[in-house]
Amino acid sequence: MAGTGTAAPIDARHKGPKGAPGSLAAYWAMILPVVVFYLLFLAWPYLALLAMSLYRFNSTTLYTPTFTLENYISVLGDGFYISLLGSTVLLGLGVTLATLLLGYPLAMAIVRARPRMKAFLLIVSLSPLLVNLVVRTYAWLVLLGDKGIINAWLMSLGAIAEPLPINNNFVAVSLGLVHVTLPLMIISLVGIMERIDPSLLEAAESLGAGPWRILSRVHFQLCLPGVGTGSLLVFCSAISAFVTPRLLGGNRFSTISTVIYEKFMFSLNWPLGATLVFLLLAINFAVIAIHGRLFREH
Amino acid sequence: MFDRVVRLGALLTVLFILGPLVVIIGASFTTTPFVAFPPQGFTLDWYRQLMGKPDFLRSFLDSVLLGVATTAGAALVGIPAAIGLQHSGVRGRAALRSFVLAPLTLPTIVTGVALLQFYYAIDLDAPLAGLLAGHMLVTIPFYVRTVGAALISLDPSLQEAAESLGAGVLRTHLRVTLPAIAPSIFAATTFVFITSFDQVTISVFLSSPDLMPLPIRIYNYIEFAVDPMVAAISTVLILLSFAIVAVMQRLLGLDRAFIGGGN
Repeated sequence: MAGTGTAAPIDARHKGPKGAPGSLAAYWAMILPVVVFYLLFLAWPYLALLAMSLYRFNSTTLYTPTFTLENYISVLGDGFYISLLGSTVLLGLGVTLATLLLGYPLAMAIVRARPRMKAFLLIVSLSPLLVNLVVRTYAWLVLLGDKGIINAWLMSLGAIAEPLPINNNFVAVSLGLVHVTLPLMIISLVGIMERIDPSLLEAAESLGAGPWRILSRVHFQLCLPGVGTGSLLVFCSAISAFVTPRLLGGNRFSTISTVIYEKFMFSLNWPLGATLVFLLLAINFAVIAIHGRLFREH
Repeated sequence: MFDRVVRLGALLTVLFILGPLVVIIGASFTTTPFVAFPPQGFTLDWYRQLMGKPDFLRSFLDSVLLGVATTAGAALVGIPAAIGLQHSGVRGRAALRSFVLAPLTLPTIVTGVALLQFYYAIDLDAPLAGLLAGHMLVTIPFYVRTVGAALISLDPSLQEAAESLGAGVLRTHLRVTLPAIAPSIFAATTFVFITSFDQVTISVFLSSPDLMPLPIRIYNYIEFAVDPMVAAISTVLILLSFAIVAVMQRLLGLDRAFIGGGN
């Protein structure tokens, strides 16, 4: 395409976007740094972590480099880790359901709103993403703590005499995680609702369906791909989150992530921690695979 | 009835989102020695106390330094990669692209511990370099994705024209491509800086007492104490993020900024 006709010596070197071999080499040179960087700081550390999960724990030298599957066998055969797995998955499901219930009406309101109101609601919905994770979690710590605001209110009203134990449990961690992950759900829902053809809803209405019926039989069905994407994002973030469960769960509620942190930073059982890492990754990939199967045709 | 329920549900969600942030900002002005909302009285004492904490101030500066270094490093590696991956002659582009975007799918805590034991194994004794590499790892994908998206919508005839006029690959991209996608680069840069400045999960594994970014300083502090001083520093951080977004809104328009942000 380029340089037809007037074949000046200069433009003979570059023949359009497909380019001469020399220019292709230049494009490879642009990609090379990122590949080297990723091999060094992503691929190598992950492979080393995989090897670590196969090592044997040693209390004096951290680990003995002998390959064995005993960490995996002991994790999968231990009631503590099985129930840890169960409560982590349950947490993920609870948070996903809650973000869906909270996010759905707000997403509907955003899609229906006039431009100014829409901009305002979008900023509000996304604002948690701009606030530091530690700060957001601190806010819940302040609300839910033993000397926290909710307990102080209830005690000053005389409703309770002793602080309610609303901190360091499943509910506290769920509330914090819902607050953290809600924007992901809202973005996915708004994205799909914007694409719904209003004539489909009008057709249902003219056929005599009431608003609730339209919501469950038409609107929600049309939103399913967005619900799927949002749920995937929220679930994976919730089960992999560490800061929020750590601060709001304290010593009384653990997830796989908080135990990984504990194994790497305090009890220094790195082989076991690495094994839990691959358990966590396995759940993540399983959920991604399930999502792929369910929403393949969309 | 139906519309009312939807509106009420939306309102409740808005309150749920904003409530905790409002409580924090309000509580930072309380005169009580504990966090109270609504605040009792009005004082700026907690902000004054914050100024007298040299470790918080140093952590703030460390975070800024780390954020700037991360932004520069991620841009230098990520933007050329995005341009290179756009070129049709590059084989295995799709696979390379997924490889480069992988840190977005991998749980950050896993990347954190992977780097922790990797640095231990290679005996790396450079906290700043270690944190920098970790932060770059999770921000390079933003550049690749945002710049990649901008390049797709760019008219290819621009580059062809430049090349047919005899500009080399480097010159074409420096003088033609980059200026054309400058708004996207600017949006990605802002987002990358905020991401690095706010990064907690990777930093928690890689910080040391000598180099502790601000979020980790706050994290360590609130593990033991929940006093209004943290509300004060949180308020500063909340206002800072909103200021950055407001500036972006003026310069770029918000929708563009958020699209640029990749969400």
